[in-house]
Amino acid sequence: MSQYETSYGASGSDGSGSEYDYPGRTATTLTAGYGGSHGGTPVVTFENVSKHYGRLRAVDGLSLDLRAGETVALLGPNGAGKSTSLDMLLALRKPTTGRIRMFGDDPYHAVKSGRVGAMLQSGGLMPEVTVLDLVELVTKLHPNPEPVQTTLKRAGITQFAGQRVDRLSGGQTQRVRFALAICGKSELIVLDEPTAAMDVETRRLFWNSMKEEVAAGRTLLFATHYLEEADQAADRILVINRGRLLADGTPAEIKARAGAKRISFRLDNVDEPFLLGLPGLVNLEVRHDVVQIQSSDSDATLYALLDAGYRPREIEVTSLGLEQAFLAITAEDDLANGHSSGETN
Amino acid sequence: MAGTLALTKAELTRLFHNKRYFIFTVAFPVVLYLLIGRQVKASAYGVAFGAYYMISMATFGAFSGALNGNAQRISQEKKEGWIRQLRLTPLPANAYVITKVLVSAATTVPSIVIVLLLGRFYGNVHLPGWEWPAIALTVWFGSTIFAALAVAVGYRFPPEQVQPVTLIVYFFFAILGGLWFPLTGFLGNIGKFTPTYEAVKIGTDVIQGGSVPAGLAVGLVAWLGIFALLATVAVRSTAETV
Repeated sequence: MSQYETSYGASGSDGSGSEYDYPGRTATTLTAGYGGSHGGTPVVTFENVSKHYGRLRAVDGLSLDLRAGETVALLGPNGAGKSTSLDMLLALRKPTTGRIRMFGDDPYHAVKSGRVGAMLQSGGLMPEVTVLDLVELVTKLHPNPEPVQTTLKRAGITQFAGQRVDRLSGGQTQRVRFALAICGKSELIVLDEPTAAMDVETRRLFWNSMKEEVAAGRTLLFATHYLEEADQAADRILVINRGRLLADGTPAEIKARAGAKRISFRLDNVDEPFLLGLPGLVNLEVRHDVVQIQSSDSDATLYALLDAGYRPREIEVTSLGLEQAFLAITAEDDLANGHSSGETN
Repeated sequence: MAGTLALTKAELTRLFHNKRYFIFTVAFPVVLYLLIGRQVKASAYGVAFGAYYMISMATFGAFSGALNGNAQRISQEKKEGWIRQLRLTPLPANAYVITKVLVSAATTVPSIVIVLLLGRFYGNVHLPGWEWPAIALTVWFGSTIFAALAVAVGYRFPPEQVQPVTLIVYFFFAILGGLWFPLTGFLGNIGKFTPTYEAVKIGTDVIQGGSVPAGLAVGLVAWLGIFALLATVAVRSTAETV
């Protein structure tokens, strides 16, 4: 359907060969430096939030802050705990442990104050009424709403406002849900996989209108498993996997985190301990005489290698996109928790 | 409050576009009364058959209206996520259920008014002036409490199971309550504890004795308590899955 349709399961690559983990990489190293200049009361705070279903930990000790005006992507594979986290934020579910605050209040009262507008995958529409009736109804529920015509225009639904809600296409339905999320002129907008049912054109329109919302000073939190979307739309990405926060930073930081460049070459008589000491090295893989290095500073890594007197052959330096960064981060997490089939020598 | 009213208005608009609702609540009791209501010689519950049947048909139409459509709608709206969507708005958490009950309270009115008018002008039921509103109010209360039961069923069962469940509830209270024909003997004794029987019997007692029987009225209020409790438990226990 589009360039977004890539699956991001377990990495499954590198079944043989040796793999080394770079020590000391935790989510906190990035979180610590992030957003120090923003200040003010956080719009959303998760304090060590967990949600258990029996023995399953859907969300496992999640802590995060959202600040006013940010556009934040909650990025993770299916089943990572994105929807559960948003449900708890929106007072649809209660955390098993931990505490969530929104605008300094508990989630239920924050939602009832009208300061948050939301669009969930599981959210439905009232049947048997027209689009206009429905938008008017939900608009009336908010204390300080947008004029209905403005909402219709922004969501791009003016031309079918007279149609019955239960007779819309999937993409049209999704736009109506979006209209319901923005009609209250809320300060925070929460979207769970907003473009899931949209075609490419609708998706483009959607993100354009979303940019208007952000330009108007809103804070935006959206869950997605489309990396492209997180990369293009968000100014901050939270990577979560199996209910835990793995990384928190700008798209550029996330890419750097997993090693922004991949260097590969052939080298006889590989000295692995030496290679592991190279500057900028994030990950090392050696298969016979083929060496692959992920590096956060490929120039420094290469210079150090050459300065040490090595003369590798067939050198290639390639950029890692967010996709590889994401794969690397989640695969590393799975590996650390014994969920990967990859062998380690 | 403004939000609850806006939602109630939208729900009423939907309802008046729904033909099924009119068949259940108005057409059925009217047709039955036209067919059976004018048996001059018979009597039931100590009053003329035409008077008994007027009250029982008004109750029948109103209670099936409160029960049938509502349970199905609630279950469907729960499954499709409309209830969830409403929870994301500033509308208070209990407003959806309150709205459903308010709408039911309004939708039981047409069948009651129409059947009582039919009793007066077709069934030749003649009563002192105050007994008409007393009977109407009793029937209205006795059937509107089924809106709470509909909430319980709608929250508890998925749409495909709601139909059979409401049918069982519907036949149970219609037959045991003596709405279609007065019951005697063993079943009649059990039926005396149903709210549908109580509503009708209060009406016929009013006609017969000129006053409202306190015991039956208390019974009816107790049923409201039972149905409201069932509804509360159903809503609370499904809070995380709605």
